[in-house]
Amino acid sequence: MSRKLTALLLAMLILVGAMGLKTVVAAHSNGTVMMANGGGPFPPVQNGGGPFPPVQNGGGPFPPVQNGGGPFPPAGAQ
Amino acid sequence: MPGSFIYWLWSLESILEVVVLVCALSRHSFRRYLCLNLYMLSSLLVSAGRYWALSQHGLRSNEYKYFYFYSDAVLTIFLYLALITLYLRVFDEMNVEKYVRFAAVLLLAGTALFSYGVVQQSSNRMLTGFFFELSQNLYFVGLVLTYVLWGAILKLRETRTQLIQLVLSLGIYFSAFAASFALGNMFPGDYRFLGYVVPVFGCLLPLAWAYAFWKLTPDARMSTARLAVVPR
Repeated sequence: MSRKLTALLLAMLILVGAMGLKTVVAAHSNGTVMMANGGGPFPPVQNGGGPFPPVQNGGGPFPPVQNGGGPFPPAGAQ
Repeated sequence: MPGSFIYWLWSLESILEVVVLVCALSRHSFRRYLCLNLYMLSSLLVSAGRYWALSQHGLRSNEYKYFYFYSDAVLTIFLYLALITLYLRVFDEMNVEKYVRFAAVLLLAGTALFSYGVVQQSSNRMLTGFFFELSQNLYFVGLVLTYVLWGAILKLRETRTQLIQLVLSLGIYFSAFAASFALGNMFPGDYRFLGYVVPVFGCLLPLAWAYAFWKLTPDARMSTARLAVVPR
């Protein structure tokens, strides 16, 4: 049991260390720099890496909402 | 379209990957380091697939982008598994295989959960973002894991030369990628230059592994004094 807990602790420590390291290294990241293995040239990407999918989970346009869903309350409503 | 130098490096990397597989097969090390060789094989297949996607659809096409990022995530998971088999090799005399596997699964699950947490807000491209984030996070996990393994090798006074060569080359590979990632973020204007440097690192890993499989026998030993000076 203690060995399993040690393995759990080590795994968590490594995860925290790795993510901390990534945070430090990518502190000024704009998302366009990436690491990738295997051959081939980098495809040009926008912020965050990965292409935009052609459609998002079903068709239809997005409703115009800002910061969270739901319609705007009427102006002056209490 | 990318320049001819990039194509040249890409071809060189693929040739070196074939050399690794041939060396491993000819020296009977294929099964001994199965995951490492499977990573090389999958990297070779991914290169062929990327070339096909690039020539058919072009660099800016969604097909190439999707293939590139999803295949990168698969390769990174293979590399992670290869690193875990090196852990199993180093700790094989301590009968802790079960715990190493347990920790490896936990770490992979934790990294996936962390990646999910990062991308869950951008629901319009959830799956793509998740695989991209997982791949990037696994690089850093691999980097830390390699340094921890190197510490364990020094502590346990591991003397198998081939194993040490494989671990050190992996450490240099991860470190070089992390350094280029950091430099790319610090000097975003010079990223084009890094685009030429990074594929060179990609060639160094198969070169080092080919050397390890071809020149070093599995039973070759190194004196511990050459690894570290132990204070008395």
